[in-house]
Amino acid sequence: MVDSKRMGRRERGGSPSEGEGAGEGLTRRGLFRRLGVAGTAAALVNSSCKVQDGELEAPAVDLGPDTSGAFGLDAAPLNFTLDGKAVDTKAEARTTLLELLRLDLDATGTKVVCDRGACGACMVLVDGVARNSCMLLAHDVAGAEVTTVAGLGASGELSALQQAFVDHDALQCGFCTSGMLISASALLRKGGGPGKAAGMTAAQVEDGLAGNLCRCGTYPHVVAAVLSVAKGERVDRVPTERIALGEDGSKPARAQKGGAA
Amino acid sequence: MSTKVTLSLGYGKQLSKQKIEVPDGEPKPWDATVKTKVVGRAVPRIDGPLKVSGEARYTHDVRVEGMLHGAILRSPHPCAVIQSIDLSGAEKAPGVRAVHAMAKAGDRMIFAGQDIAAVAAERPEQARAALEAIAVEYELQPFVASTRGAMRDGAPVVHAAAVEEKRTGADEPGAEKAAGRLQGNIRPGRSQKRGDAKRALRAAKASFEATYETQCHTHSALETHGLMIRWEAKDAVTVWASTQAIFGVRDEVAAVFGLEPAKVRVITEFLGGGFGAKFGANAPGSAIAKAAGELARTAKAPVKIMLDRQEEHLCTGNRPDSIQTVRLGANPKTGAITAIHVTAHGSAGIGTGAGVGRNASAIYTKVPDVLVESADVFTHAGPAVAFRAPGHPQGAFAMESAIDELARQLGRDPIDVRLAHDTHPVRRWQLELGRERFAWNERRREAADLRSRNTRIRRGVGCAVSIWGDFGGPDARVTVSVARDGKVAVKCGVQDIGGGIGTVMAQVAAEVLQRPLADVRVDIGDSAFGPGVGSGGSKTTSSIAPAVRNAAEAAKAELAMIASRALEGASVKRLKWTEKGVGVGRQTLSWAELCKAIEGEAVVATASRPRTYGAFPKSFPGYPTPQIAGAQFAAVEVDTWTGVVRCSEILALHDCGRVMNEMTLRSQINGGIILGVGYALMEQRVLDPGLGVVLNANLEGYKACGIKDCPDISIVLTEVASGNNSTGSYGIGEPATIPTAAAIANAVGDALGAHVRSLPITPGKVLETLEAAANSSSNSEASK
Repeated sequence: MVDSKRMGRRERGGSPSEGEGAGEGLTRRGLFRRLGVAGTAAALVNSSCKVQDGELEAPAVDLGPDTSGAFGLDAAPLNFTLDGKAVDTKAEARTTLLELLRLDLDATGTKVVCDRGACGACMVLVDGVARNSCMLLAHDVAGAEVTTVAGLGASGELSALQQAFVDHDALQCGFCTSGMLISASALLRKGGGPGKAAGMTAAQVEDGLAGNLCRCGTYPHVVAAVLSVAKGERVDRVPTERIALGEDGSKPARAQKGGAA
Repeated sequence: MSTKVTLSLGYGKQLSKQKIEVPDGEPKPWDATVKTKVVGRAVPRIDGPLKVSGEARYTHDVRVEGMLHGAILRSPHPCAVIQSIDLSGAEKAPGVRAVHAMAKAGDRMIFAGQDIAAVAAERPEQARAALEAIAVEYELQPFVASTRGAMRDGAPVVHAAAVEEKRTGADEPGAEKAAGRLQGNIRPGRSQKRGDAKRALRAAKASFEATYETQCHTHSALETHGLMIRWEAKDAVTVWASTQAIFGVRDEVAAVFGLEPAKVRVITEFLGGGFGAKFGANAPGSAIAKAAGELARTAKAPVKIMLDRQEEHLCTGNRPDSIQTVRLGANPKTGAITAIHVTAHGSAGIGTGAGVGRNASAIYTKVPDVLVESADVFTHAGPAVAFRAPGHPQGAFAMESAIDELARQLGRDPIDVRLAHDTHPVRRWQLELGRERFAWNERRREAADLRSRNTRIRRGVGCAVSIWGDFGGPDARVTVSVARDGKVAVKCGVQDIGGGIGTVMAQVAAEVLQRPLADVRVDIGDSAFGPGVGSGGSKTTSSIAPAVRNAAEAAKAELAMIASRALEGASVKRLKWTEKGVGVGRQTLSWAELCKAIEGEAVVATASRPRTYGAFPKSFPGYPTPQIAGAQFAAVEVDTWTGVVRCSEILALHDCGRVMNEMTLRSQINGGIILGVGYALMEQRVLDPGLGVVLNANLEGYKACGIKDCPDISIVLTEVASGNNSTGSYGIGEPATIPTAAAIANAVGDALGAHVRSLPITPGKVLETLEAAANSSSNSEASK
């Protein structure tokens, strides 16, 4: 394989723009990065042959690996639509969509919780499909339409689902809420839209939100909120009987609310 | 300086006139005669729109000019002495602006995850990459990771010297401090005693003994621990912290950096959960505040450190495990329990505080002789810290399980056994209500039928009870202002952990001032708004709500003086207040007119609340405050072929004084139950005994309840007027999680006819329990 020690010096100044056959040096790390980009194998063989042919003038002194110019370390142009607005930015190859949204675009409605696809807190819609943004690279959404929680409502208004979350107290600390709303929005769209999914069952909602973890225990209120929007009428899920002072609870003091649907 | 006030107190129809000594200046407490209009209603939380639109900025989301990102290198070894640390690689790494050593050569690291060094860089990935350039040489030392292993003679010793117990505002107030001497890794701690349990056990005609185990449980708040520190001057900082105790953070930051507390401003506008683990500025097992402050000072830029999910499992606290041996003495003829003796060991890792709560010592007060002894066992693991009702779910599981097992042995109904030994009238009422509401008798018969037919799918029901206290106190100062434009503002430097305290504050102010809720603005989450209270011990509502009422009443008194002048000297006492304004006789003044008459910008009143002054009908042991009663009933389905348990239903009966907001209250109860279901069936931090490292420091291997793991929940609220404070409120956050796992374990016991004595109740344990029960019954058949 390539002797990165000997080639260390020759590599300086090399960049992809100089063309693959231009004899730029390669470090081992740079090599793997290039392989990842594909289409460079020929150039590799070529340049390593040159080494063997002794075309280098003197043995290189080890200055440590230099990765400047290797593809992926520098940010590359990226265009997509975020919450209805065109985004024209740059991102490194290694940057996840979640990192791009939160760190570079300050779209902090999308939360980071596990950063490995286990909790759903970072979900966004990518062309209408709910995806964990921590499991996507930023460049995966090139040209796509990305919707975060901030883009669910039309121009500053809350969507029907967001309003239902408020009305049902389908949130406590609120850290899972963005992801829940994204999953539930995708589910409702699939089911026909707000008010048009009268046949939606609690089990379907639970399937649709199975990837969203909540630690405050808001799930029952979340199911109620989603079903309410699907059916276009209020649904409650946690029957609550309040035995006020002066009442004895011998018969339910007032009608139980809702009931398990 | 106090006056006796006659109040109508009690619960349900059991109301009576009670004389309560109320400090002078305190408004007449809302008692059973008072019907409130806004308080108690199911009002959606006022900051809901900010949370559902993504606009709410949590600590994790806050960004300020020039902000750097910090990261911390952690020891990968459970026990090792540092031979050398070379930070130079990190100092030279791209983007790095400051490096801070958190340990030095010669230091003994005693858990995997302990702080070594911190760096601050322009981007978080640069900070993480720089950590990899730090070279540390360790000399590995023997370690012990399991609780039983640490209890053995000759086990590697975790702490060579005495250990000071560290307590936070989330620990149960009044719980005894551990005081015993360290022997090896065992430090005898709290004990609760009544009579002579050992003698009573020897004299008992029937006895029961079993050992119960519970697992290590992590808080796993979705927002990890973290904070940002910005130096405003040499002696002043602003801290954005993910904390459930703004003023606790202020004091700790002041202490760490030698600053005056008044020069430390702490901001927590939104908080992504805490559950007891977010009390200090530093995390329980990681000096994040010290690191952020030092890095910020070196770099001359604000530094934010947000831990990642793995770190959250390693060094930010957990609920200790437990090994509890419960011995009961009983009279087989009457079913009376004559003695309770609990011996408990638990490991809080390198920390202290493994307790077992008060189910054994303080609920069954008709048992004459009781002894509960608990000890900390040190292991090479991250420290525990208070976690939603510290000690109680562990203790409830063991004690409530033992009660059920004894009932089975004596052929008695478990509810009857509880009723025979518990004197709290509200808990007794809850048990009776639950028995009827949950169709207890029918379901028990069905369970017995399925057992007798040895069906594959079994069903069972169980119940368990809880004890907690009203620990609200006078820490907070609340400011209520009424401006000339008629707008009301309420301010306090309390944080919202997710319970929705801001909404309750708005409701109380709206109630007193008879204003629409939408006209009340609430400012919380900043120490600049005045002293708040830490959200621990379920005391936020009962500390804050009465202070809001008292401040609103004071503002109203000042408005009354203005009204009296405007209404030609009408006596303040004769004024009639309505939602429209104020009047006397036929003269009226609209709210707008009244407010326009304010001289200056606004009427501003700041108030606190006094110590709790009433505890009717029953007080918390050793504490002059109400005892909060609760009972939960669980129904389960067990597949006896696979061992899988599903909790299908929970009925929760809880007392929460006067309900402040039925909707957010229900959310808290749901949350307590769902946490309890995970504790009962799924959650367990797995520490490899051979490696001393956590194997599931993440959210895919650490199994918290998902939406499909939730039972159907129904709730019965038994309101109580205790005369405790001016609003009659007290907490629910912790009581709601105490009995859940115990009730589920008892339901599994009912389904199987044999008890699973270890949490979480995994399929493997169910199958082992079934097999053991089958073997022992075939043995007893054989011996007949």
